[in-house]
Amino acid sequence: MVLSQKFHEAFKGTVERITNPRTVSAFKEKGVLSINEFIVAGDNLVSKCPTWSWELGEPNKRKSYLPMEKQFLITRNVPCLRRAASVEEEYEAAGGEVLLENEDNDGWLATHGKPKETKSDDEENLPSMETIEISKNNTIQSISSYFGGEEEDDIPDMAGYEEVDNVIETDAATLQSTYLVAHEPDDDNILRTRTYDVSITYDKYYQTPRVWLTGYDESRMLLTPENVLEDVSQDHARKTVTIEDHPHLPGKHASVHPCRHGAVMKKIIDVLMSRGVEPEVDKYLFLFLKFVASVIPTIEYDYTLDFDLGSSST
Amino acid sequence: MAGHESRPVLQFAPFQSSVDEGFWHRLSSLKLNKLGIDDSPIPITGFYAPSAHPQVSNYLTLLAESLPTEPCEQSSVATVIRGNRNRCSAPGILYNTNTLEGFHAIDKQSLLKAEAKKVWESIHSGEAEEDSAILSRFLLISFADLKKWSFHYCFAFPALVLDPPATLLDLRPASQYFSIQEAESVSAACNDWRNSSSTADVPFFLLSISSNSHATVRHLKDWEACQHGEQKLLFGFYDPCHLPNNPGWPLRNLLAFICSRWKLEKVHFFCYRENRGFADLGFSLVGEALMSVPQVERLMKGWEDPQHIPSAVGWELNRGKKVPRCISLAKSMDPTRLAISAA
Repeated sequence: MVLSQKFHEAFKGTVERITNPRTVSAFKEKGVLSINEFIVAGDNLVSKCPTWSWELGEPNKRKSYLPMEKQFLITRNVPCLRRAASVEEEYEAAGGEVLLENEDNDGWLATHGKPKETKSDDEENLPSMETIEISKNNTIQSISSYFGGEEEDDIPDMAGYEEVDNVIETDAATLQSTYLVAHEPDDDNILRTRTYDVSITYDKYYQTPRVWLTGYDESRMLLTPENVLEDVSQDHARKTVTIEDHPHLPGKHASVHPCRHGAVMKKIIDVLMSRGVEPEVDKYLFLFLKFVASVIPTIEYDYTLDFDLGSSST
Repeated sequence: MAGHESRPVLQFAPFQSSVDEGFWHRLSSLKLNKLGIDDSPIPITGFYAPSAHPQVSNYLTLLAESLPTEPCEQSSVATVIRGNRNRCSAPGILYNTNTLEGFHAIDKQSLLKAEAKKVWESIHSGEAEEDSAILSRFLLISFADLKKWSFHYCFAFPALVLDPPATLLDLRPASQYFSIQEAESVSAACNDWRNSSSTADVPFFLLSISSNSHATVRHLKDWEACQHGEQKLLFGFYDPCHLPNNPGWPLRNLLAFICSRWKLEKVHFFCYRENRGFADLGFSLVGEALMSVPQVERLMKGWEDPQHIPSAVGWELNRGKKVPRCISLAKSMDPTRLAISAA
C-alpha cells in the first residue's frame, strides 16, 4: 500500500473518531447520506431485492453508530460470467466509443473503435497457441492443470497425497463432475464463471455508502486482489478501485473508493430533478448501485431496474 | 431391478462448499486462545440458500459465525442469525487435527458413516420431521497450519444411499408442470414462506395444491393432515443446484426420509429455485421419482432395526479429484507480511 494512502487512512480514522455522525439530511444538496438515511435506504434495498441482507460482521469491528444487526449489507454468490477487460475489448472491436489513452487524462472519445492498430480482424481470429493447446485435450485433466497454473506459489501440491485414504465412492446416483457441465460460454473451453460477494458499508468520513468486492474462482476459492481487478472497468482499476481492509470483515478486499461518490450521486440526483423526478432518499442505494455497475459491469448483482425513480411527472 | 433398465437413475448434483476468509481467522484465534491442542470435534453451522441465478449454484458457506463464539462474546448473535432468508443453517461438525500427518491419517470413511448414522437416527426418532435442516448435515475435516497460515480441508455432505437407486419418471421446469393458475398460487405461497422470518430458513416443506388450484406451503410434519382432499402433494426443498436436468444434493436425504417415514414408493418433488430473490417456476423443477419396493422393504428392515444404517456417500471432490483443498492466508494473517505491506 502506498505511504500517502496509509497517511490518509490514519487521518480519516482520526477524523471519524472525533466527529459526530451526520444527522441532518444533505441528500439532495451534497449527494451524501446520514446514518439514519443509510439504514432507511438499506432496509428498502433488502425488501425490494431480497438477495441483499444486513449482516453483523466481526464483533470486534462493530461500529457503535450503526445498529448492531445492521452493520453492513451483503449479497453473496453473484455470478460474473466474463472479465470486464475482455468485454471492453469486444466493445472496442465492435466499434464502440473508446476513451483514447492520454497522459493528461483529458481523454477524448473515438466513436468508431480504436484507430487502426497493427492487429487486423483476420489476425484476431487466428487461434493463439494457448487456445490450441487447451482445445487439443479438453478433458478434466487439462482443465485442472490449467487452474493449477494459477495457484499460489506457496500452496503445496496436494496431488502427492491423493488416494491415501480408502474412500471409494462409486455411486450411480451422484452426478459426476458438475463443475464441467456448468453453463459456460460455448466459444471456448475455459471455465470463466467467477462469483462475488458484494458488500456495502457506510463510510462515516465521506458520508456515503462504499462498495466492497470479494471474488471467488470457479471452485469457490478466494481470488487474489489482482484477479479481482480484472473484473473492474479498466478505467477504474487501481485508480478508483483500491485494495484495503474491510471495515467489518477480515482480510483485504477490493473497494470502490468513495471520495467522489457524493459528487457523482449529486449529479445523478440533479439530472433526475431536472427531469421533474423528485428523488426519494430510500431509493438512494438503487441509484448508487446503478452507478457502481459502470465500475463493475460484469458482476450481475441485483438492483432491480424496473422501479419507478420517484414520482415522475412525465 | 428387472424392468427398470429403461428408466434413468435419478442423479443428484453434489453440494459444493465455500469457506469465507473470516471462518479461518476465527478458527485460528479459537485454536490459539481457547482450544490449544484439544482436537475434539466442534459443532459448526453452515449456511445455504436456493440457487438464485440460472448460471451458478449456491454453496454451503462457512462464515466466521459458523464457529462457536469465544466466551467473551454475547450469545445473542445466534438468535439474530435465524430468519435470514439468505442463510438457511445446516448443522455440521469440524474435526480439526493438530498435524498434517493427523489430517491425512483421518479415517474418512468411518467419519462419514458416523455422520450418516446421525442423519439416519434423526429420521428414525422423528427429529428430522420437526427440524428438517438436520437432513443437510455436513462434515469438515481440517488442519490449520498456524505457522504458515495455510489451511488444509475437506468437506463431506453425507447422503444415505438407496439401493437400488431411485429412478426418474419425469422431470421438467415447474412452469410446465403446473397450470397457469396453479403456478401463480405456488409462486405466491413460496414467496410468503420465504418472506416470513419464521419459515424463511426452513429448507424442506410440503407443497399442497387443492382442486381449485390453490397452493399452500406447509411444514413436513403436517404430512398426515395433507392426506385428504388435496389434489396434488409435492415434497419441496430449497435447491442450491442450478442445473436444468438434475436436482441438488439435499433431495437425497429427503427421499430417504420420505421412503422410510411414510413408505412412499412414488413421489413428486419440487426443486425450489429463485431469481432475484423471488420464486422462479421456469427455473425451479418438478420431478417424479420412483423408489422400488425392495428399497422400501430394505429401509423398513432398517426402520425396525436402527443398528442397520444404509451406506453413505458424499466426500466433496476438489476440481474433479479426491484431494483436499488448501488455502494460504499468509497475505492477510502473517504479521511479518502485514508489516511489510503496511510500510
